[in-house]
Amino acid sequence: MIAGMQRWIFGAILVLVCFYVGTWLSLSVGLPLPGALTGLLILLAILFIAPSAEPYVARAASPLLSHMSVLFVPAVLGVTTYWTEIAQNGWAIGIAIIITTCISLGISAKIAEKLLAARHSSQGQNDD
Amino acid sequence: MMIEAISHALSLSGLIWLGSTLLFYWVGLRINRKYYRYPISHPLIFTAVSVGTIVFLSNTSIEIYQQSASFLHWLLGPVTVALALPIYRQWQRLHHYGLPLLLSIMAGGVVAPIFAWAALWCFDSPISMQLTMLAKSITTPLAMEASAQIGGIPALAAVFVITTGVVGAIAATSVFRLFDVTDTQAQGVALGTVAHAVGTAKSLQMGDEVAAMATLGLCVNGIFTAIILPIIFSFLSP
Repeated sequence: MIAGMQRWIFGAILVLVCFYVGTWLSLSVGLPLPGALTGLLILLAILFIAPSAEPYVARAASPLLSHMSVLFVPAVLGVTTYWTEIAQNGWAIGIAIIITTCISLGISAKIAEKLLAARHSSQGQNDD
Repeated sequence: MMIEAISHALSLSGLIWLGSTLLFYWVGLRINRKYYRYPISHPLIFTAVSVGTIVFLSNTSIEIYQQSASFLHWLLGPVTVALALPIYRQWQRLHHYGLPLLLSIMAGGVVAPIFAWAALWCFDSPISMQLTMLAKSITTPLAMEASAQIGGIPALAAVFVITTGVVGAIAATSVFRLFDVTDTQAQGVALGTVAHAVGTAKSLQMGDEVAAMATLGLCVNGIFTAIILPIIFSFLSP
């Protein structure tokens, strides 16, 4: 219980430190990446360098990740501000989302099938 | 930012709006667990529609709601950082499947945004909307960050992303039949790459192997798109 709590606190602090360092780096160095993404890359680097940090990060990150949907609610409700723009472009958005998503899904699956089939047939030669 | 968000959360309106959002989310989760076969039961859809209705009926301005619930919005930053964990975990698996898989994911990651953008471009839609569409196939927090960076609209990105996921998950079975794709691994890769987390949730019903491939597609495409889009645009508009 206590150990779990300590893990959570350590993991949460690590995530927050990466977030703030990433934000600071993006702003001060003028990286083209958003701060949170820079933070993600820092945390990823930490995990690769020190894999022992994984259980700590997991303790804090997993509950947040599995419930991240609720975090989008304030942003999603913000679309009401763009209502006229959305209504004016309703057809275009509908086609862009419904039709092109289906086409992209089909094409990607087809390409993946071809590429993976090549792998299946060459398996055994370079199976690591 | 964090202190501000917490102080908003602890005010009366903060407690009411934060509390009701979490309550509706809890109900949404229960509905989703019961009707998990239907992608439209995504908890975000139920929560956003319910909370939106209450906000509208109570004559509250959306700005007041957003301020009261700003703690949730603030958490988007840390949750984006936390995505490093699933990406790290998928890395070994990516290594195992090697180049063919990486190329498959990249193909989907390039095809999906270009088609979506082209549709809006043909209709001469506003440029901010066209840019937002470029991020529609990646996971929501990354899409919001990336679209904000390249001049899109994060709120719109969230809606486009979720709709894309739901459409992809609903259409998947028919699309794979239409394109005559029978390899389940290929189906998984396409679902995760084009329809992110909602597609991945759908792939869970198609078996563990498919779900593993979808998770891989989701993570790899998410990180690459979120890095490459802002870099391309920083060169285009110095």
